Amino acid sequence: MNNALMVAWQQLSHQKVKLAAAAAGVVVAVMLMLVQLGIRQGAMDSSVAFSRRIASDLVVVSPRTKSIFRSAQFPRRLLYRLPSDSDVQQVSEVYMSLAQWKNEWENIEHPISVYGVDASKLMLDLPGLDNKIRELELADHVIFDSLSRTNYGPVNASLAKDGQVTTELNGRRVRVFDSIPVGISITTDGNLYCSLSNFLRLFPNRPAGSIDLGLVNLTPGANAEVVAERLRPLLGTEARILTRDQLAAAEIAYVRQTAPIDFIFGLGAAVGFFIGFVVVYQILYTEVANHLPQLATMKAMGFTDSYLLRLVLWQATILAFMGYVPGYFIAIALYEVAETQIQMQFSMTWQRAIGILLATLFMCAVSAVIAVRKAWAADPAEVF
Amino acid sequence: MDQTEFASCGTPSVASFNSQFDTRPLPVIEAENVCFSFGSGELRKQILFDINLQIYPGEVVLLTGPSGSGKTTLLTLIAALRSMQQGELTVLGCKLQGASVSQLVRLRRSIGFIFQQHNLLGFLTARRNVELMFQLHPDVSAADARARSEEILNQVGLGTRINYFPASLSGGQKQRIAIARALVCKPQLILADEPTAALDSQSGRDVVNLLVKLARETGSPVLMVTHDARVLDIADRIVSFEDGRIVQAAQH
Repeated sequence: MNNALMVAWQQLSHQKVKLAAAAAGVVVAVMLMLVQLGIRQGAMDSSVAFSRRIASDLVVVSPRTKSIFRSAQFPRRLLYRLPSDSDVQQVSEVYMSLAQWKNEWENIEHPISVYGVDASKLMLDLPGLDNKIRELELADHVIFDSLSRTNYGPVNASLAKDGQVTTELNGRRVRVFDSIPVGISITTDGNLYCSLSNFLRLFPNRPAGSIDLGLVNLTPGANAEVVAERLRPLLGTEARILTRDQLAAAEIAYVRQTAPIDFIFGLGAAVGFFIGFVVVYQILYTEVANHLPQLATMKAMGFTDSYLLRLVLWQATILAFMGYVPGYFIAIALYEVAETQIQMQFSMTWQRAIGILLATLFMCAVSAVIAVRKAWAADPAEVF
Repeated sequence: MDQTEFASCGTPSVASFNSQFDTRPLPVIEAENVCFSFGSGELRKQILFDINLQIYPGEVVLLTGPSGSGKTTLLTLIAALRSMQQGELTVLGCKLQGASVSQLVRLRRSIGFIFQQHNLLGFLTARRNVELMFQLHPDVSAADARARSEEILNQVGLGTRINYFPASLSGGQKQRIAIARALVCKPQLILADEPTAALDSQSGRDVVNLLVKLARETGSPVLMVTHDARVLDIADRIVSFEDGRIVQAAQH
């Protein structure tokens, strides 16, 4: 190979230490961008994780509910008006609240989210819950989310060993008889699932007729939006009906609006981009400046400005890849560290991987174009 | 030597048409009343006055004269590195006035350049420095480029040093790589600007002998600026400059 890429590589690799330093700068930039955007996505995903688990066609919430993590209640009787429509197949209610969980091992209390559900018509994507209907109906029996944070105590280990854990919830003796993996978010540290009647036992002040969430399944083939429009008058002003997608969109909008996730992590990623830009620019600029007489000589001999641009662009591209590949793997390792540390799910999406690769290439290319201008300005007549 | 056919310029000159009826070879460089000044207005300083000069194929011509006499400026004009102001200059059949940038770049690609400083790329080995020139001639295959580079490095006596980086070679050796680089693509004209200035007298002598020997083998004319009196004897013709004018053109 005898082209500009080869020359670019020989120029970069001639000084190994300098090359390593340049690549390390890009590694930091790539890693920062990937980690910041990964955490942003993870925080966003986890905040809307529950709404993504809703499996019903339509959802009924209180008009005062801005997010189902901070839900207001609405009258249950409104929900039970809906089956009068021939397209409504089934309705089901969900209670939600925070309870105080007693960590029996350390003797401290932690708030935990409690979901009261009707397991016989679940309409929630909670695998493993629907085949425990009988145990769930037993008094003061609850199911633990095995992905809850560790500050609730070694619940998973005890469950595996003894088959059950007994503790206090809101000052009431409960038995955890099983666990399912669901996942936590920036708004909750852990989850518990129980039957409707057990929920009311845990929260004696909650009237049975006030529910947090109504789930509505339609007959197969019914158009959710059309039916929702038709059902709206039945609910009046005390409850609001949404399709599943509308709810998910509203949840994301709410998180965006209330938590500065986009700004904080977007800023972090931008800082990464800027660090990379400055490092690559510095390296390429010194390379150009140190070889200015030689580059001017090449121009005198008939090399064009576009050849010099290609030379510097190839160096930028080499730096981009040398930084991207290790940066990518470090970011994946950091996702895993973060997962074990804070029990929140972080995953690499191909969109992010490609997007950051393109951003890195763009960052390096811009640095190259700015750096090469010095060589363009060199007057070959001055070489004589 | 054969009638040279200049490939550098797109438009055939009237001279090349006439040459069918003229047995004299066409000049490689033809300067007519070339004037050149630096600066403008009050600070305007004329460097070249009415330069008339012809260089023919196969000639080795030295430009001498005190520093500031304009010889290097003339060289940069011939090399198409400065824009013409007054007079007519035709190099390898290409009229420099009004030629487009790409025509001038193409012209420069058929010229071999040797500078006072070798200006080799420090991160490339001797062979790669020479090979680099073939990037201007993409029609030559990589294998040919490599073979020709090694061959010419052999000819300049660096056959055992082809994979050395310039930093580990002496000044004379580096200048010999620069000669190899200038000659490897068989230029139709060689322009050299004080190639011996940075060398001691013995290696300076060797370098000039080598340059002229190789140029004569390929028939490329050489125009060399020098005020090194020790090398004047190799020239076919010496053109002396003083205060921007040619004072005497001595024939050897």
